[in-house]
Parts: sequence; structure tokens; C-alpha cells
Amino acid sequence: MTMLRVRDISVRFGGIVALDGVSLDLNRGEILGLIGPNGAGKTTLFNCISGVIRPDEGSMFFEGRSLRFAPPHERARRGIARTFQNLQLWGSMTVEENLTVPMDALGRRNTLSDALYLPFSAYAERASHERARAILHVLDLGRYANALAADLPAGIQRRVEIARALAMRPRLLLLDEPAAGLDAQETSRLADLLRAVRERFHVSMLLVDHDMSLVMRVCDYVYVLDFGKVLAKGRPSAIRNDSKVVAAYLGEESKEPSAQSNGAAAMTKSDAPLLEVTGLAAGYGHLEVVRDVNLTVRPGEVVACIGANGAGKTTTLRAISGMIRPRHGRVMFGGHDVTGSPAERISRLGLVHIPEGRGLFPRLSVEDTLRLVSNSTGHEVDLAPAFEHFPRLRERRRQAVGTLSGGEQQMVALARAILARPRLVMVDEMSQGLAPTVVRQLFEILRVFREQGIAVLLVEQFVESALNVADRAYVFEHGTIASEGSAAELRRNRKLVAGSYLGTAVDEPAAHANGNGHAKLDPDLLEVVSVKVPAGLKRALEDRAETDGRSAGAVVMDLLEKVER
Amino acid sequence: MTSRLMVRICVALIAFTVLARIPAGFDVGFQFDAALAVILGFGLLSLVLLTGYVGQVSLCQATFAGVGAYAAGMTASTFHVDYTVAIAVGVLAAFTLGVVVGLPALRLYGITLAIVTLGIALVFDRYVFQDRIFSWFTGGSGGWRVDSATVFGLQMDSSKHLMAAYIVLLALFCVVALLMVNLHSSGAGRRFRAIRDSELAAATMGVNLTRYKLLAFGLSAGIAGLGGSFYPLVAGSVSPQPFWVFTSLQLAAIAVLMGVRYVPAAFLGGAFMAFVPDVLTRFGHGTLFGRYSYDISYDWFQIVVGVLLIVQLILLPDGVWGDLRMRVMHARSAMQAVTRKRVRVA
Amino acid sequence: MSAFAAYTIIGLSLGGIFSLAALGIVLIYRTTGVLNLAHGTMGMFSTFVAWQVFYGWQHPGWPGWLKTAVAVGAGLAFAALLGLFLEFAVFRWVRTRPPVVKAVITIGVLLALQSTASLIWKNNQYHLPIYIAPQDATFVVADVPIGANYVVIVLASLGLAFGLAAFLRYTSFGRAMRAVSDSPVAASLWAVPVGKVGAVSWMLGSLIAAIAGILITPFINFDTTSLTLLILDALAAALIGGMVSLPLTVLGGFVLGLLETYPTIWIQSLGFPRLVALLVIIAVLIVRNPRGLRVAA
Repeated sequence: MTMLRVRDISVRFGGIVALDGVSLDLNRGEILGLIGPNGAGKTTLFNCISGVIRPDEGSMFFEGRSLRFAPPHERARRGIARTFQNLQLWGSMTVEENLTVPMDALGRRNTLSDALYLPFSAYAERASHERARAILHVLDLGRYANALAADLPAGIQRRVEIARALAMRPRLLLLDEPAAGLDAQETSRLADLLRAVRERFHVSMLLVDHDMSLVMRVCDYVYVLDFGKVLAKGRPSAIRNDSKVVAAYLGEESKEPSAQSNGAAAMTKSDAPLLEVTGLAAGYGHLEVVRDVNLTVRPGEVVACIGANGAGKTTTLRAISGMIRPRHGRVMFGGHDVTGSPAERISRLGLVHIPEGRGLFPRLSVEDTLRLVSNSTGHEVDLAPAFEHFPRLRERRRQAVGTLSGGEQQMVALARAILARPRLVMVDEMSQGLAPTVVRQLFEILRVFREQGIAVLLVEQFVESALNVADRAYVFEHGTIASEGSAAELRRNRKLVAGSYLGTAVDEPAAHANGNGHAKLDPDLLEVVSVKVPAGLKRALEDRAETDGRSAGAVVMDLLEKVER
Repeated sequence: MTSRLMVRICVALIAFTVLARIPAGFDVGFQFDAALAVILGFGLLSLVLLTGYVGQVSLCQATFAGVGAYAAGMTASTFHVDYTVAIAVGVLAAFTLGVVVGLPALRLYGITLAIVTLGIALVFDRYVFQDRIFSWFTGGSGGWRVDSATVFGLQMDSSKHLMAAYIVLLALFCVVALLMVNLHSSGAGRRFRAIRDSELAAATMGVNLTRYKLLAFGLSAGIAGLGGSFYPLVAGSVSPQPFWVFTSLQLAAIAVLMGVRYVPAAFLGGAFMAFVPDVLTRFGHGTLFGRYSYDISYDWFQIVVGVLLIVQLILLPDGVWGDLRMRVMHARSAMQAVTRKRVRVA
Repeated sequence: MSAFAAYTIIGLSLGGIFSLAALGIVLIYRTTGVLNLAHGTMGMFSTFVAWQVFYGWQHPGWPGWLKTAVAVGAGLAFAALLGLFLEFAVFRWVRTRPPVVKAVITIGVLLALQSTASLIWKNNQYHLPIYIAPQDATFVVADVPIGANYVVIVLASLGLAFGLAAFLRYTSFGRAMRAVSDSPVAASLWAVPVGKVGAVSWMLGSLIAAIAGILITPFINFDTTSLTLLILDALAAALIGGMVSLPLTVLGGFVLGLLETYPTIWIQSLGFPRLVALLVIIAVLIVRNPRGLRVAA
């Protein structure tokens, strides 16, 4: 039966179309994956389903009822639970308390009787806590029951979030980038956990993530979004080999020979590296996104960083330029140790960072923005060179930057590098959201940089374009560097690169093993049994189940049937 | 679990018996300060609930107390009933205002909520408490006079039976404090704290934000109003000055200083606010080394509070009590690690 | 009709004060992330300094305008120093904290400044206001006499607003300030000196608050608390501008001034205008606030 039916959802933010007529079906007992390149609209769709955003058009039905006017707590009541990418645990409470809140909230509890410790409240408290401990036990979190949620490492917090969502007895569990910040091992454990959860708790799941290894292992069915529309849908193995999907992630395979031989020749000068990063670790809050990154950039080189989203490329750049503080490691730029220095100081040393989103000032005009650039003596520079390279900007010099098109904005950001004559330019996802012709123009500018002796460190999702213009490249995976090499090498080995984006060929019979014999099982019976059975007996049941190769519920059913007779 | 409850009740009883005796040996002025300390303590308790537990910023707690005071005064003077009824009316009036203030607060957070509550404090201060239109409520420019009254059968007034008022106040304070501490570790308290720690998660996990936020505002205002209702009795009359916007700001400042999440901090703060200024005025004149005369007045107290608040927020975000508590907890867990005491997992 | 015109002028001058105060608040908020609840208090203190110089010193036979100029100058100089002091002693240490915390810090500043002023100048209300123009000078426009000081205020507000706008638009430091106010993170990536910008913003903000305070003295009971309480109206005007747009803030200030003055034709009340300001605040916040949940800061 179709549990979740999403029809023709459209969402617009100002002038940007985030979702354009997206439809999606989720069946009972399924684990559904939702993937797509950055900006494809996955998070927006996810937020619509969980109630955070209201769609402009379209409808959503959960178990036959419309979700149109249901606020988040109402959706919770109907059986939709979710986890959060950036971990929204209630840090001042223990793990066990975190789990009891949704249970209480969905029951009928009275504030006054709680305060007075009336017998009803005390009873309900005990029941909630027992049930919470049971769930924690199933997820192997029992030893953390009394730990403060804020003190736990990120991997454990993820599991606690899942446990908390399960405490609500949901029928549908929405997982928002559950693999964010986890390394390869933790991700594989997460995959096992999710499958076990589906089995034990009989929940369907909708999973959004960048991590292909997780999606491929866990999901029964996958939807791929791109530019706000459904690009493809099907079983994971089919999706992985779909040429459209590959193109959406990696860019079109280009047949032109790479015109970068001059780059290789110029590399004979083996001077001291301009940028040297050793053992870098960085993250946000509890998440550790970058674990151990080592890279170098030599003067005049063009180096690319490629790899899937969430692999740590952007975070690495941010830790280098001072936008965030590195937690470990060292960053040397031009002979200075700039680890943990403020961004202002680093940019004055000659490092220009063009972040995701371009780092511009929406209400300043083009001219005003460029006039912010001052040369080494502190005076303003002549703007002429910028307008030579970007004649379009000369026409629009008085226009506010926020009103320019994406391509023009990127031009403004690059124009700064032309004027400021830095030693290193770091560009993050230059081509994001831009049409291919514009992208080609912008990549030409990178050649201009090289001519002027400016080094470039480039983060780019579209592998083809990046390898076309770069001398060397680093491939990022799970927060560290999986491989590196010259651009020519990596171009030849396209399979290696594709694997890091779309998951290495772990051909598990992923979908088939799930769901056998479960369709007949009564989920409520399972619940009741897991609460009221003494722990010792429960464990015996589980051991028996393991030896038999079935689920504990099936074992119990068996026993009960025997009793009846 | 019930053992914890027993412990809390014992602590409350002990605190009550100890503190109830103290002012008896001093003069009326001191007794007045003691009663005022408890009234201010109610104001701080209300902040602990609203800001400490639920995370809603409010800069108008003194206004709620003032509404309680005026409502009680009006009831007692106009209807000549037992003062217990007046107190009930005061609490109810404050509760209602709290819920009303909570309504816009449903959509506002952090700074914007602070601005709106500040506005409410200002409007009540300058307009409602002072304007002629509201004289039916405020008793005109003189305010209500309450000369003597009976509460729970006890005779009390502002001159001869101040101790009685103080003891009743203290008893009520201990009861409310106890209820609040119970609330904190109860299911409802957890729902409140969930709203504070992550409103988004709370809503998606089934907590009805509207219901709980309005409840928090109402309860908090009611607590402040409870303290305020005693004010006419303790001071003899009501005027707008004690409930003006600066008192609200001071309450917020002291609550943050002492630790806005912890109930004991409320009591510390109340005592601080009531006694220190008076001590300063009494002993704050004199000569230093026989040559320099100094005169420390109430203003110095407020300067110190302001500066302390700034310094504390820069250095110690958790408040004095909060910091102490953190140190004790760390020491305790360090000791446990040393003696290998295992935490019991069910 | 003439009464209406008179009220309009009064409303506009009151609005001019609000605009000025609001401009200072928005400037500081955009460039440093601090919502300065002590804005009125700072202005009050500087105004008292000016008063002290004006009435406290013995000026041997100086002409009136010189006395005024020196007094005002002293007040402004103090204001600039106060702003700088606050930035260096307090706010540069808390740049990364959430906005609520920074706002509560300004409460501490408010309390400390308020009491210091009360200590020095006591809480009396008999202080005489400073007049920029002679007290009884009037213009006559279409048979309606308009007090000269009112006109001075309106002109000064507009002039300052334009001056600030010009500074922001045409000077290089103004550009830097606009950059920081648009996006502090991007500004630091562009090597814009964010710290310096913050310091200058505090200085300018304090100066503007002082000017507003000095100009308003003819109209209100001048004591240590009343100017502090102006913060509510200033916040209302700033919120009308969305805490972003300077022109809208100025417009908002004038509109608010009119909204607060017209009802006094019928309602004689000292406190009623405050109610108007509060209602405006609530209305603006509810209308502007996007629906949807936010993560706790």
C-alpha cells in the first residue's frame, strides 16, 4: 500500500524554482532514497514532507490523509518522525530523557499532576522510562542512558536521534543526511543499523543523503533529483549505471583532448610550496567533517579537489582561509603559519577565497564592490583590468550585485582576483547553478590566472571541467584524501572517480533480504512484547532468533501458537 | 525517584524553619527587607521558569508582579474581602496577562521577544500604571492603601505584624520552589526544556508549542503576580515605582548573574536585591580614614549590577550558581572515576 | 486646520528624533550584530555632559552661540569617546556570541550608565533644556506660526540622515561599512577591517544618539530616565525599516512621530504614545516575521 504519496510539489523561493512538479511514492515497509547533486532540491522536498516548509503547489498524502494543514506536531501524531542533519538533540537532558519526551508528548500528560508527583504521573513516568531503556537496548545504546546528550560524540548522537525518533512509534521515519560527519566505517555500521531498525520496529524510511555507499546499501528504491525535477528513479543498481545520473553528478564526458600540456611542463620548477596543509581536522559543533587532510599547492599551479558532497572539500577550504578554526593540523601559506588565524589576516597575505555562494555583498554595486579591493600599499586600484576581462560588468557597474545573474556574480568574484593580484585563489563550486556556456567562459579565466602566476585551488563537483583545467587533483572521500594524481592520470581512470561519487561496487543483494515474513507481523504485538517481557527472557528470545535465522517477533508468534494449542 | 522527592521536601522544610526565624530578632526595617526579598525572589523564580526552563526571554516580569499587586490592592480595598481572595485575584490577573503576552511571543524569538516584552514593561509603567483612565485599577495617584488584612486567618499588616506576612510569604515561596524543582525533572519540565534546547526538534517530536509556551508565560506571570499580591500588605500601599521598567531589567540582570536556570539562584538573587541596597544606605555613609566622606547609595548598587552583568556574560555564561554547580558536578564525576563507581544502567 | 498643521509639525519633529535614534541603532546592529538597548541611555549621558558644560561652567561674557557650540561640542566629543570605549572594553570580546546575549549585555550597560548619571546629576526634573535656536523664534508659514526649534529638528534629522547616507555611499570607509553590514563573513574574506568598522560604528551611533538627545530637550521633561525610555520608539522606527534599510528607517521614524502625536489631539495622556509605539512594534514584527520554525540560537 502506498504510505506516502507526493504529487506535483512545487516550491519557489523568490525567483528561484527549488522544486518543479515533483511526485514521489513510498510504499509500506520500504526504505526510499532521495539523492541528487547539490542544489537539486532534495532538502526542500524533505522539509515539505516533514512540515517545515509549505509547498506553493501540489499535495501530499500520508496513509490516505492529506498533510496540507498539519503542523509539525500534528504530523508527529500521525506517525511521521524525523532526524536532523545538524543533530537537534536536547543537549541539557540525558539520552533517556531525550527519548521520553516524544513519548510523553504524544500521550496525554498534565503539567500540574507532573509537578505534584501525583500517582498517575509517577506511573506514566516509570512506563516511559522503561520503554525508553528498551529502545536504547535494541540500538545498543544502553550504556549511554544516563549520559548528557551534549557530551556524546557525533556518531553516538546520530544513533540517539534515531532512537528518539523511534520512541514516537512512527510509521514513517525521515532521515536527513544521517551519514553527515561519519567516516567510512561508521557509515557502514549506520547502514546495518537502519536495516535492523526497519526489521525490529517495522518502520518505513525516507532517506536523503549524499553518501552513495549508504544509499546503495540500504535503500530499496531511489529517486534522483536534479534542478528541482525528478531525473530518474529505480533500484539502486540501476540508478548507479544510468548515464543521465552519472552525467548529472560528474558532468558530461568530454571528448576534447586536454589542453594543459603547458601546465605539466611548467611544473619542473620545484620551489617551496605556496600552500601546505598537514593533518588538518575541522568540523562544526559535534560533527567532524574533515579528519586528516594533507595537501600542497605550488606557486602557479592549478589544483582541483573533487569528490562527493559531504566529503569535506568545502570545509577544508574554509579551514584554510580562516572562516572556521581548524581543530588539528597546520596550515602554512607563503611561509607563514596561518593555522587558526582570522580570515582578515590571511586574505591580506594574498589568499583570495571565493566561497560557495560567492561571498559577495548583495546591496553593494559592482563598482563599489570592486573598489573594496586595495593593493599592498593600501590604496584603491584601477578597475580597468577587471572590465577588460569582463565587459559585461562594465555595463552593469552601478547595478547592485544581488540583482545580477549567477554567472555575472561569479564574474565579480573572479574580477576581484584579477585586481588584487593574490598569490592563491581558492574557488568553491564555481559552476554551481550556472549554464554550461557560462561555465566554460569562467574556466577560461582560470587560465588567465595561471598566466599571471596566480595559483588556483579549485573545488568542483563537475569532474570533467575541473580536470580539464587543473594540473593535479585530490579526490576526497569521507573527510580525508582517498587518492591524488595528475589530472591526466585521473581523466583516464574515470571509473575510479565515478566510484567515489556513486559508491564503490559493493553489490549487496541489498533490497531482497528485507521484508520476508514481516508483512504478516502485527507491529503492536511486537511492541507490547518488548516492554513487558523481563530482560532475561527477552535476551533468550533474541538468542533463539539468531540461531534460527529469524526475527524475534516470528519466534514469539511461534511460541504463542504452540501455547494456544 | 520518590526518595528524591523526600529529600527535596526535607531541604525545603529545613530552609523554611531556618530562614523563618532570622528576621524576628531585628527591627521593622530589616523585616520589611526580608519580606521584600521574598517578593523579589518570586519575580526571579518566574524568570527561572520562563527563561531558564523554557528559554523565552522576558523583560517585563516586574510588570506581572505589578499587575498582581494592583489587582490584589483593588480587590481588598473595593470589596473588603479576606486578603486571601485578593491574592487569588492578583494571581489570576497576572496569569491572564501572561497568557496574553505569550500570544505574540508564539511567533517571536530571542531579541524580538525581548523587545516586545520591554515594550510591554514600558507601556504598563508609563501608561497603565500611571494614567487616569486606569485609576479604577490603580487607585488613582495615591494607589491603594491596605492597612491591615487577614490571610489564612492570620492577622498581618505593614507595621505591627510584618513577621506574619514574611512567614506566609516564605512558606509560599518554599512550596512554589519545590513545585518548580519537581516540574524540572518531570515530563512537563522535559517538554519545556526541549523547547528551550531545540524548538524545531520539539515540534517535530510532538510537543504542542502553542500550548506549552502559553502555559509557560501564564505560569511565570502567575508566580510573579503571587509575590506582587503581597506587596500592598507588606508596604502598606501600592505605587508604580517598584514595578517600573528598571525593576524588570534588574530582575533579568540578577537572574542572569545568579544563574537563570536554577531555583536556588532565585533565592540568592532575591536576598541580594533586597538587602544589599538597604545595607548600603544604612551603613553606606561615613568617613574613610577620618577625612574622606563617602555616601554609597542605591545607585552604586545598580552600577555594580550592570558592570557585573557585563563582566559575567563575557566570562561566565552560566551565572554564579550555574558555574558553582558545574564545578561541583565535575568534581563529583572526577571522584567517581577515581573510586570506580559504576553508573547503574537499568 | 491650523491646529492640525501645528500638530503635524510637532509630530514631524518628534519623528525626526525617532529617525535619528533609530539610525544609530540600525547602524550598530548591522555592523556589529548588537541590538543596543542602551542607546537612549548613551544619548542621555552625552546630553547631560553638554548640559553640564552649558550651565555648570562660568563662561565669562561669552556670546550665547559660543556657549551653545562649546557645550554641544563637549557632549559630542564625550559621545564619541563613550562609543569607542564600549567597543574596545566590551563588545569586541563578544563578537561571536548570539544576538540575545549581546542584547542582554547592553542591558548591563544601560543599568550602569543610568545609575552613574543618577549619581552625578540626581534624579530631579528641574533641569532646563538646551535650545539651539532662541526659544520664542517662530516662522510663519501660511498664517501658521511654527516654532523655530521644531524646524531645526526636522532639518537636522534630514540633514544627518542624508549626511550619513552620503558618507556610506561615497567614501571608501563607508563602502567598507556597507560591506560589513551586508555580510560580515564575506567582508573578512575581502580583507575589510571588520574590527575598525565596528569601532567607528559604535562611535557614530553614539554621536547620533547624543545629537538626538540634545535636540529633543526642548520637548520633554529632561531627567535621567526619560531619554532612556526613548528606546522603545527608536526600536519601533528601526523595525519599520526592517533593521536594514536606512531610508525606510527615516521614513518610519517620521510616520511614527505623526502616529504618536495626532492622537494627543483627543487623548491627553503622557503614556498613550508609548502604547502606539508598542502596537507598531508588534504589528511590524508579526507581519514581517516569516512563518516557520527556527532553530534555537
